[in-house]
Amino acid sequence: MQSKWTVWASFLLPVLLLGVLLIWFWHSTGGLRFEAPAPIEAVSYERVVFLPSSGTVPERIVAYIRNVGPGPVTIAHVQVRWFSRASWDFSIVPSPTIPRLGTVQVTIPYPWTEGEPYEIVLFSSNGIPFVHEVAIATATPQWSARSFGQFAMLGIYVGVLPVFLGILWLPFLRQLGQRAYGFLLSLTIGLLVFIGVDALADALEQAEHLPGPYQGVAVIVIGVAVSLLGLYALSRAIEARQQARGEEMSMTIAYLVAIGIGIHNLGEGLAIGGAYALGEVATGALLIIGFMIHNLTEGVAIVAPIVRSEFGTGRWRHLIWLGMLAGLPTILGTSMGAFAPSPLLAVLFISIGAGAVFQVVLEIAAQMRREHGLAFAQPANVSGFLLGLAVMYATGLFITV
Amino acid sequence: MRINIDNKSALRREFLWKGILGLGVLTAVVAVALFRWGGAHAGVRAALEVAQDTAPRFAHHRPPTKGSETYQYAYPARRLPAEAVYDPTPPPPTPRNRHVHEYELVITEDVVHEVAPGVHMPAWAFNGKVPGPVLRGREGDLMRIKLINRGKLPHTIHFHGIHPAEMDGVFELVPPGGEFTYEFVARPYGVFPYHCHSMPTNQHIHNGLYGMMIIDPREDRPPMRELAMVMSAFDLDRDGEADFYAWNGKAFQYADHPIELTVGEKVRMYVMNIFEEPMAPHIHGNMFHLIRSGTSLKPQELTDVLTLGIAERAILEFQYDSPGPYMFQCHLTEHMELGLMGWFQVKPKAERAARSASQAHTTTGAGN
Repeated sequence: MQSKWTVWASFLLPVLLLGVLLIWFWHSTGGLRFEAPAPIEAVSYERVVFLPSSGTVPERIVAYIRNVGPGPVTIAHVQVRWFSRASWDFSIVPSPTIPRLGTVQVTIPYPWTEGEPYEIVLFSSNGIPFVHEVAIATATPQWSARSFGQFAMLGIYVGVLPVFLGILWLPFLRQLGQRAYGFLLSLTIGLLVFIGVDALADALEQAEHLPGPYQGVAVIVIGVAVSLLGLYALSRAIEARQQARGEEMSMTIAYLVAIGIGIHNLGEGLAIGGAYALGEVATGALLIIGFMIHNLTEGVAIVAPIVRSEFGTGRWRHLIWLGMLAGLPTILGTSMGAFAPSPLLAVLFISIGAGAVFQVVLEIAAQMRREHGLAFAQPANVSGFLLGLAVMYATGLFITV
Repeated sequence: MRINIDNKSALRREFLWKGILGLGVLTAVVAVALFRWGGAHAGVRAALEVAQDTAPRFAHHRPPTKGSETYQYAYPARRLPAEAVYDPTPPPPTPRNRHVHEYELVITEDVVHEVAPGVHMPAWAFNGKVPGPVLRGREGDLMRIKLINRGKLPHTIHFHGIHPAEMDGVFELVPPGGEFTYEFVARPYGVFPYHCHSMPTNQHIHNGLYGMMIIDPREDRPPMRELAMVMSAFDLDRDGEADFYAWNGKAFQYADHPIELTVGEKVRMYVMNIFEEPMAPHIHGNMFHLIRSGTSLKPQELTDVLTLGIAERAILEFQYDSPGPYMFQCHLTEHMELGLMGWFQVKPKAERAARSASQAHTTTGAGN
């Protein structure tokens, strides 16, 4: 009994002392005298929306602002730049003074015109300007059945259709010999490694634009770790059960690949939908064509593990599920990217996707070795891997926005 | 010619008939004219009504006007209060028998300058104001200007005009806590800038250490309502691009608080450009007589826009013939839209008498 109290006391003592220290420091600043020579203020533009005029309501630019500085900020003045700046009327809800990490909505009734570049400048009461550039102004899509349909179709074009087309290669792939199959699996690994690295680079780039307190790189580490380790644990658990029942592992791996690619496609959809919504996509049709070719390879990656499996009539239904699992999240992504974009969620989903893809790479490599006795270090497999990278690079040339 | 009674009455009848006919024609002509005028007027009215109909949607294509719902540039309750407006009225011409004109200018470096409604910047200032006070003297008289430096950096005052080298305010730095009295004979008459010339001069000037000096000729110019307007700009983030432009230091202050004039009132406006870009002062609905640099008694030109190069200045003389709001602006659109615009609210003559009865000297806003 006494020992239990001792354990608790030894745990609580530092906590209590820290509490006392913090209270003392809060009131006295502990003898430290740090005064900023100028006010430190920072806000981030979370989203900027261009609205057309309707009826008697004029055109508006609406900026969603978050205070990411160390203290409160008061927005006192707004300017809009076309080729030169102009001070402009504005209103703020809920209040011009934003608490730390608080958000406000700034509405600027500026008669913007389609296709023009603009820059929005908010001035704090301390005279500090916060600038946001918009390369090409275009009316931001507003939520409606019609516009949702548009973005859902975009998701189907760039995500769902290509995956299913890739899956349709299965009958052909089943004709391949052992050597060619090793080549195919290596090619798949190449594709997936490229996708994963590309996604990581993308996440890092987007993390740069996240406001400091969100700690973008940490979000990536968390996202990758969660999906990599989560899927690893999941696959081990399924594997253990299937081994106990004496079942084949290949279909499970196909599902894991589909899940991994699905998460990846969600992140990809967020990016595409967001880019379309912001009017940042200059070559829309080319971009869609690029993604179609690019994502065709994803279908191949999904079915690669089951090329050698026995297929009863019932098992063909799995292909539908696999394709939907991998493709449908794209629709969710494009819609969310268009109507409720969040830079933080985009970084998180892209890194979760990257982690999932890497886990799938490990899984396929293990399958190659275990079920098919294939060593990776063979000329055919290495060249398959390199071809996978090359294919992704070549098709990726089309989708650089 | 003999005219008998009958003839006379016949003549009278004829005259009567012709008269009636003539009146009828005249009435018809007037009626048609009135109708057409009325129609045209109705057309104008209809056009105005259309403008009214579309007003809410297009409201933000209009310039800011005080009191209207579409007043721009100042978030509700964030307008410049009247007491914060810089008084555009210069001190009156000095008496001709004074001969010595003494001023005291105190430099401080911790002035919080409200450059636009609600937007504050740290400034360095003469007597706590940006721009500094208008100094006034008379040609041939002695100017005695005492500089008191209450800042942490050495400062000077450099006056434009003719004076000895040691009064030029370039080499003789006044240290923090120090004092120096500049003495020189004011010449020639005209409008001159004064500003700190301590290095780095860009920082010392554009943090706010500048002002206008008016030297009157020996014989006074004709008395007029006088306005002194310093055109300058403020680069808050020091990126080489000004964020606000202003008449007398505060963006949009005379849009928020228009300067009241009266129909027929003669106005003399002293203007000066102290920023590093050309400025193009322009008054609406009017022309002004231009006296470049203020160094002449006779205007050189009648125009409505003038390009002031860097540190150039001029006298503009004008009067308004009809009441209403008239904009005065810099014709560089960015300067205008970032604060270099204001309004003359021109009142009918009847209101002038009432106003001069209530106040001896008409000014806009409160004390400087």
